[in-house]
Amino acid sequence: MGAAWIVYRKELREVLRDRRTLIAIGLAALATPLVLTAISQVSNKTATQTYTIGYSGEIPVGLDLLLQATSLKLMPVADPAAAAKQQVDLGVVFLPKEIDEYYDPSRQGAQIADVRLQTVLGQYDAAQGAAALESRGIDPGILTPLTLVTHPLSSPVQAAANAFLSFFLPYILITMILTGGFSAALDSSAGERERKTLETLLLTPAPRSRVLLGKIAAITTVSLAAAVAAIGSMFVALTQVSLGSANHISLSPAAVPVMIWLALLIAVSFSSVSLALGTLAKTFRQGQAYVTPLYFITILPASIILFIPDFNPSLAYYLIPILNAVLVLRDAIVHNSIDWTALAVTSLSLLATGALSWLAALRLFTRETLLTKT
Amino acid sequence: MSPAAVTVERLEKTLGANKVLRGISFEARAGEIFGLLGPNGAGKTTTLRIICTLLSPDAGTVEVLGFGTLTTPEQVRRRLGVVTADIGVYPRLSARENIEYVAMLCGLAGAELARKVDGVIERFDMGSFAKQRAESLSSGQKQKVAIARAIVHDPDVLMFDEPTSNLDVLASKEVREFMVEAKGRGKCVIFSTHVMHDAERLCDRVTIIHHGLVVAYGSVDEVRGEQRDLEASFLALVERT
Repeated sequence: MGAAWIVYRKELREVLRDRRTLIAIGLAALATPLVLTAISQVSNKTATQTYTIGYSGEIPVGLDLLLQATSLKLMPVADPAAAAKQQVDLGVVFLPKEIDEYYDPSRQGAQIADVRLQTVLGQYDAAQGAAALESRGIDPGILTPLTLVTHPLSSPVQAAANAFLSFFLPYILITMILTGGFSAALDSSAGERERKTLETLLLTPAPRSRVLLGKIAAITTVSLAAAVAAIGSMFVALTQVSLGSANHISLSPAAVPVMIWLALLIAVSFSSVSLALGTLAKTFRQGQAYVTPLYFITILPASIILFIPDFNPSLAYYLIPILNAVLVLRDAIVHNSIDWTALAVTSLSLLATGALSWLAALRLFTRETLLTKT
Repeated sequence: MSPAAVTVERLEKTLGANKVLRGISFEARAGEIFGLLGPNGAGKTTTLRIICTLLSPDAGTVEVLGFGTLTTPEQVRRRLGVVTADIGVYPRLSARENIEYVAMLCGLAGAELARKVDGVIERFDMGSFAKQRAESLSSGQKQKVAIARAIVHDPDVLMFDEPTSNLDVLASKEVREFMVEAKGRGKCVIFSTHVMHDAERLCDRVTIIHHGLVVAYGSVDEVRGEQRDLEASFLALVERT
């Protein structure tokens, strides 16, 4: 049996008995459904919540019924402008030919009530105009001389769902690969130093490169397990909670193999880097301080899709590790297509990152000060 | 006279700004307990770490049973068993799994692996706690695990670096008895210690290192010389240098 395989099996056995790593993977699986449930509840509450309009003056006939049907409750007040600051969501003064609206844009409830009021008034105006024309024997169609007919090239609901997934999935994939393997990486490096087992391990005839290979393979396995747990639970959660358009989520056939391939490349790189950083640390706790910045460094590229959803980069951007994986996954999820050139550049970039990380880890793992500095 | 199992020649080593070894030479033979003596910081552990290939010398050579530490480090490690004062065991593995892990990395497999692991468990009377996780073992039990895994591949050279410094009287006695037993089986035992009483009782030959230099080398009787015991001789040598 090869030394790498022996080390790999032993590391996994220890991980399966390590409460810290199992908790990390368990949290990874639980966190996504919890976040999605919270988003779902807030979103449902916002959609169905009744907002209050404080008004004065005479309400136009029939408008009160429309407002109530849109969950806008009417409440008479003496001063609508003053009431709109705190007492109610909107203040409205009904005048004979005009409606004055007062609202505080810094309040989310006021913004939603404003949108609802504008929609209701638009419908009311259209209905009143059409009724007036019909009573004079004129076709109400003259009010809409140009009719817009939309022809979406893909399902708008599916597009919205894909946009959600194109951000959420790479984000979860990358963060879970990174954080899922943290504990195992530190236990396997700084932990060995702290427990004073490293010397025993290095005293065996096994070549250090094989020992390192076994350790990195074990950490990669744990990272991927955490990512699979998180993504699996995300899809299960999406079938159970209501998120509007996001409920129509399904992963395109093109995205699945791309995701698996990129996850593997990222996991190997992350495992090597965290193991290398772990070997610099003398204790598990010190190792945590070293690897934590890695989380923030990697989370920035993963977040770029959130801030620039239509970011269309040149091929050079696909050389940047992590960002390239996020972009390729976005394209595969949103467009259900693969840009093979971009995927090739991304793969080369991630392979090079993995190789460099591996060399750095090997260099650090074989240096003399690993044992002489305590 | 037995042939040299370990040959150390003009060893030099600097760690950081500290020149730890300044030309150490000695030979340790099969079938003897060879004492590597000296005060704390004399360079004993550095010497042992170079012999077992964990460190590289700046100058000089080490051969273990004819294999050079720089040219064939894996062959050297295959022939060595090392026990240190720091009893590092994998806490989430059982005592048996700790031993098996090292044995497999030393190349044992299948029936031979099981036989040798069973053998050391029996030798050190570890049957009652072999399946217990190492995190729940006492210091003495952990030291037994440490010795068992160091010898499970039946190496010809055994090195003990201050092996009893963290142990109680009973556990220390067992370690000393094992060293004598290993010598009886023709093994070369290198015993590094600053406890002169232990060295005098156990060792056939010794070398005393001070400030990275060999200040005495020979049989216990030769090194003791006119002094009443090895400790007095050691103090006289150290004070002189």
